[in-house]
Amino acid sequence: MRFLITLMFFSLAGFSASAEWTPDIEAWNSPMPEQPAAVIIRNATIWTGTDERILENADLVIRNGRIHSVGHGLSAPRNAIEIDAEGKHVTPGIIDAHSHAAILGGVNEASRISTADVRIRDVIDSESINIYRQLAGGVTAVNLLHGSANAIGGQMSVIKMRWGANPADLVFEAAPEGIKFALGENPKQSNWQVDEPRYPQTRHGVEQIIREKFQQAADYRQSMDDMPRGRAARDRVPPRPNHELAAIAEVIHGERDVHSHAYRADEMLALMRLAEQFDFVIKTFHHVLEGYKIAPQMAEHGAAGSGFIDWWSFKYEARDAVAYNMALMHESGVLTGIHSDNPELARRMNLEAAKAVRYGGVDEHEAFKMISTWPADQLGVGDRTGRLADGFDADLVIWNGHPLSVYSKVEQTWVDGRRHFDLEADLRMREQLEAEHAELIALALDENGNENGNDNNNAGEDSAPERRRVHGFATHLTGYRDSELDHDEYCIFHAH
Amino acid sequence: MTNTVFSMLTKTTRSLAAGTLLLLAGIAQADVTALVGATLHPVSSESIDNGTLIIRDGRIEALGDDIDIPDGAQIIELDGLHVYPGFVHPATQLGITEIASVAGTVDTAEMGNINAAVRVEVAVNHDSDLLPVSISGGVLSAHVVPGGGLIRGSSAVMNLDGWSWEDMVINAPVGMHISFPSGAVEDDENEDLQRIERVIDRARHWKQASEAAKAGNGSAPARNDQLEALVPLLSGEVPLFLHANRYDVMETALDWAQEQEFDNIILVGDPDVRYIAERLASDDIPVIMSRVYAMPTRRWEPYDMAYSAAARLDEAGVRFALTDSGGGMDVANARNLPFQAGSAVAHGLTHESALKSVTLWPAEILGVADQLGSLEPGKRASLFVADGDPLEVTTSIERVWIDGQEFDLMRDRHRRLYERYRERNARAQGRDPE
Repeated sequence: MRFLITLMFFSLAGFSASAEWTPDIEAWNSPMPEQPAAVIIRNATIWTGTDERILENADLVIRNGRIHSVGHGLSAPRNAIEIDAEGKHVTPGIIDAHSHAAILGGVNEASRISTADVRIRDVIDSESINIYRQLAGGVTAVNLLHGSANAIGGQMSVIKMRWGANPADLVFEAAPEGIKFALGENPKQSNWQVDEPRYPQTRHGVEQIIREKFQQAADYRQSMDDMPRGRAARDRVPPRPNHELAAIAEVIHGERDVHSHAYRADEMLALMRLAEQFDFVIKTFHHVLEGYKIAPQMAEHGAAGSGFIDWWSFKYEARDAVAYNMALMHESGVLTGIHSDNPELARRMNLEAAKAVRYGGVDEHEAFKMISTWPADQLGVGDRTGRLADGFDADLVIWNGHPLSVYSKVEQTWVDGRRHFDLEADLRMREQLEAEHAELIALALDENGNENGNDNNNAGEDSAPERRRVHGFATHLTGYRDSELDHDEYCIFHAH
Repeated sequence: MTNTVFSMLTKTTRSLAAGTLLLLAGIAQADVTALVGATLHPVSSESIDNGTLIIRDGRIEALGDDIDIPDGAQIIELDGLHVYPGFVHPATQLGITEIASVAGTVDTAEMGNINAAVRVEVAVNHDSDLLPVSISGGVLSAHVVPGGGLIRGSSAVMNLDGWSWEDMVINAPVGMHISFPSGAVEDDENEDLQRIERVIDRARHWKQASEAAKAGNGSAPARNDQLEALVPLLSGEVPLFLHANRYDVMETALDWAQEQEFDNIILVGDPDVRYIAERLASDDIPVIMSRVYAMPTRRWEPYDMAYSAAARLDEAGVRFALTDSGGGMDVANARNLPFQAGSAVAHGLTHESALKSVTLWPAEILGVADQLGSLEPGKRASLFVADGDPLEVTTSIERVWIDGQEFDLMRDRHRRLYERYRERNARAQGRDPE
């Protein structure tokens, strides 16, 4: 069956390569765009994400999915697809270091205070329409994370936005292992009623439980290491396998990066000091609202900061969030990124980067790096994506204007040298959908315009319940699966 | 760095100005200010390069490229900068909420279904930290809307700066707000709609009885706060703000409101308004469209369905204003309002319409266009100075005047924390803070 479907995809892809590739709003029915052997983009303004900064009137050559060269007056490889990008800007693909946009069946495993044993990798939703929509906003990779209910959450998964691929093939194979931690109001259950409160209920309790888990994990690893190998093991009862402690042991041995949800300066400082006791480095603080208050300490420890740039005052711990945070952390030498944490916002991350220019005067190229180059570094894939340079994956965006301008939009998004979003193909898809819609309506209506096969008018009874938000000025969304609207409900106070 | 220098300049200018005021009190016309050298963007007319704008007694007295500066006016040089009227937020909970998760700071929604008699302006916290942050983003006035129940109460257009809510009221009541129940689309006997109808019916009777009593025909009806509050709506003194999302709900809501013979209706709805644009245009019903930044209402819709909705309204000739969600995370970020208008331009709206949709058009829809929404003689001198196009995110807003008084941007909590920690971090790392 799988083989048949694959075969069908290939034939479709083969057909549309010569005709016109058209995506679909269902990933399973969306043909994988071809990966041309050679592509040359000419006459573009190229934002490299490297020390080359912004190259005017430059060319970029892609070969077999990788960037072959970037520079001026490049010659086209034989049979290369040529794209004239005069007046357009080309940037590295946007990388969202904090996303819940493609997770099947619940973002939070809101049970134990530590759920280091659960894995996003097992529940990637390759059918989430968010993937296609975010491609339309220039996003080429995202970090799928658990929610923030637990001090130690689950194992994250970095994916590339290969719309049409199956869950396993979305996984960005080069990404190192990572885990979600969470500090502050959410793990201590501040903002909702719980029938049976669990320990901890304070920030010092959160710090304590993490320390205890680190100690247990160290012991667990030791007991595993102490287990003799080969014949000597015959007479020994091996330690009971513990997937939770095994994952935490990887953390304290520097084999699994910590990506910790955190708002306040005190809790971030405490986690860094704890990590130092165990001789490892906290890779990245997420949200990092008060990062600016301890930016020198973060820089010294080596922790990166990945935040939303201007959300504030939605919780008490977001009281001192300032949009200048990114500029301040950046100035202090912190590896700084901007993330979405929201599938709608993720579609316009370029404007979030523009806010780093507005608030604190960050240089435009540096600001763009905050949504691409540096998130790539934070996720440990900075040698593969987030830069337009020789040897990097051809993950890039063609904009119709300045990428930080509110008046610009994405024309094409390429992932692995495949054109996964194309404005013209998107328009073709709309036409197809409209035609299909008209056909279905015609089928549903008889020649007199009456509804077919719906005599007793009970359509509402077994149709899927509509998901409704009743917060403030409610929005009504139709036809979405719950997983596509899922978010970290502990994080945003049910408001997005 | 520019920010620091700028804020120091602002402070200096302000203290100088204050000093001058004290010294010259009673001698010169200290309440006259002349903004000179900037490009003026009146919104209601063509831009004026190197223009002069005169502020007297809190109002705009004159503007143009050939204006005499009155003797004694305080002259503010703004070469190379741009002056715009303040953004008018078309629908928000600014002032009535502070921290969404802390119940004690939230006054957005009264309990119960019928709250016709609540008037939101009395709950506006004039010292809310959200207000200076909004002002700092150029949002200088806002339509504050109560959120609770089916009949939600009356709203107010507020100045975002003042010494009390009473000082800040620009127009109240602006109108009566009704949340149209979505269940009424498929149910002729929808209970919520019947509740609304019963109350409106009773209010009509109350009004009749009260008018009869005034004319000497019978005794006055018993006082009833909820019913009395609906009289201005029933007599057409204030408009009906009809809140509905989803096009079928909106259409049903409009049918209902027109059957009820409300002839002054303003629709507040999501980007689905694009699907009823023709009707809105032909019935001349103005729209406050929430959220350019929204997910497409339906999964199968184009990714830009909400982004391009405003352009659709404009093409159809609908009168409209653009707003954010008005609640949730958007309250604290009311400052992002202009960017929603800007993004609509990327998807087909003209720049001129985009700018109007967050300035002049909301002022017109909210009945305050004689005071706000453009730079015109006689209007409130509530304006800001920017270093470029204020719909662009990278533009920075440098100075603000509200009712002719310069606003100290360092009252913005974010700017304060920025200055404080910028200096401290530089010191801690042995860097030069500049």
